[in-house]
Amino acid sequence: MRPQPSVPAAATGVGGAVLLVGTRVALWLGVQLLVAGLLVLAGVTATGGQALNGVAGWWMVYGALVDLGTLGVIGWLLRRDGSTYRRLLGPPTAGWQVAVGALGVLAASVPAVVFSGELTSAVYGTAIAPMFAVVDVPALASAVSVLVVPLLAELAEPVAYLGVVLPRLERRLGRPWLAAAIVVLMWAVEHAFFPLLVNGARLDLEFAAYRVGSVLPFLAIWTALYYALGRRLLPIMAARWVFNGGTAFALAFGLVK
Amino acid sequence: MHRRTLYRLTYLAAAMSLGHHLDHVIRHNAVGWPLTGQVNAFTVSLVVYPVIATGLMLYRAGRVGPGFWALVSGGGAVFVSAVHFGPAAVEPPEMILGGYGPSVLGWLAFAWLVTFVAVLAITSLYETRPWSKQRQGRPATRPATGVGTGR
Repeated sequence: MRPQPSVPAAATGVGGAVLLVGTRVALWLGVQLLVAGLLVLAGVTATGGQALNGVAGWWMVYGALVDLGTLGVIGWLLRRDGSTYRRLLGPPTAGWQVAVGALGVLAASVPAVVFSGELTSAVYGTAIAPMFAVVDVPALASAVSVLVVPLLAELAEPVAYLGVVLPRLERRLGRPWLAAAIVVLMWAVEHAFFPLLVNGARLDLEFAAYRVGSVLPFLAIWTALYYALGRRLLPIMAARWVFNGGTAFALAFGLVK
Repeated sequence: MHRRTLYRLTYLAAAMSLGHHLDHVIRHNAVGWPLTGQVNAFTVSLVVYPVIATGLMLYRAGRVGPGFWALVSGGGAVFVSAVHFGPAAVEPPEMILGGYGPSVLGWLAFAWLVTFVAVLAITSLYETRPWSKQRQGRPATRPATGVGTGR
């Protein structure tokens, strides 16, 4: 397969992409199951289901562990390939370009916001979406979820999927549109694994499916914008930070009704 | 490369616009002239087809550049968003979701609309970059010669 000239030169084998996505999913599952197991062993909760639902309240905090693990794998891949983190972010982008681009990304995300809102209404009526309704943490943890986690998420998540996984898949498949579609799908499916909620005695698969459906338009738009902005990641990271940080802030201050 | 991508995005947006107008016709709500005697947002939105056709001819002739497409697609995104998603939306999502017997068709039409607006917004951002470069006097896409941006 002839290499695509527009694909960053640092992109190498697809094994790194599999490792990265696998690590993220494994960490989401591992952290939740580990803490839930400890809660059951310590006798805090009677059943695994109750424990998982309890752990789910902290998902906006323990997400930091997943992102730290992701950054660790990215760092390892970069050292192995002799590349730098900066190169994953795309061509040089001036501050004003990041600001204007981020505003554009936020504006272009409006259709996704509307779709996600309608989907939430269709599935849960007027209730708050479960991933926000379950959040219940003390003030210090709330501060971490507002100040630290959104920043870590931007340094890890879009860089992993768009900066590392996408170019590797493009090289392997030779078709950017197919690589982008696979990345969007994988990225969306990852959201099914957090937070894990239990309804009755079984995992709430309807919620997992809702999670995938509600984030899919966001991820499709952001991935398309990655190309539209000349593979510049910083505007997308900045817009996502505003979006996710704003959500965490609204939850921490009880502004989500 | 840039020129080819622009043509693809424009044809995609035109096809999605046509599909959305077809959706209006099938639902037969929020429609206006020429299907009814009323001139409304539906009627105004039909102007997009001559604009696209004229734009494509002028672009081919080198008379308009990325700025034209950035403004047309950006304006289209704002117009369609305001009509469907805005606080004073004349055709809110409920009219589409509840416009069909089987709800899956309503969701299909709604997903189509969301994708349509996203395509317009993405096209606008895609064209803003070469337009900005052009305005700064840096080497940028020249529509008349078809020189690409290197992407």
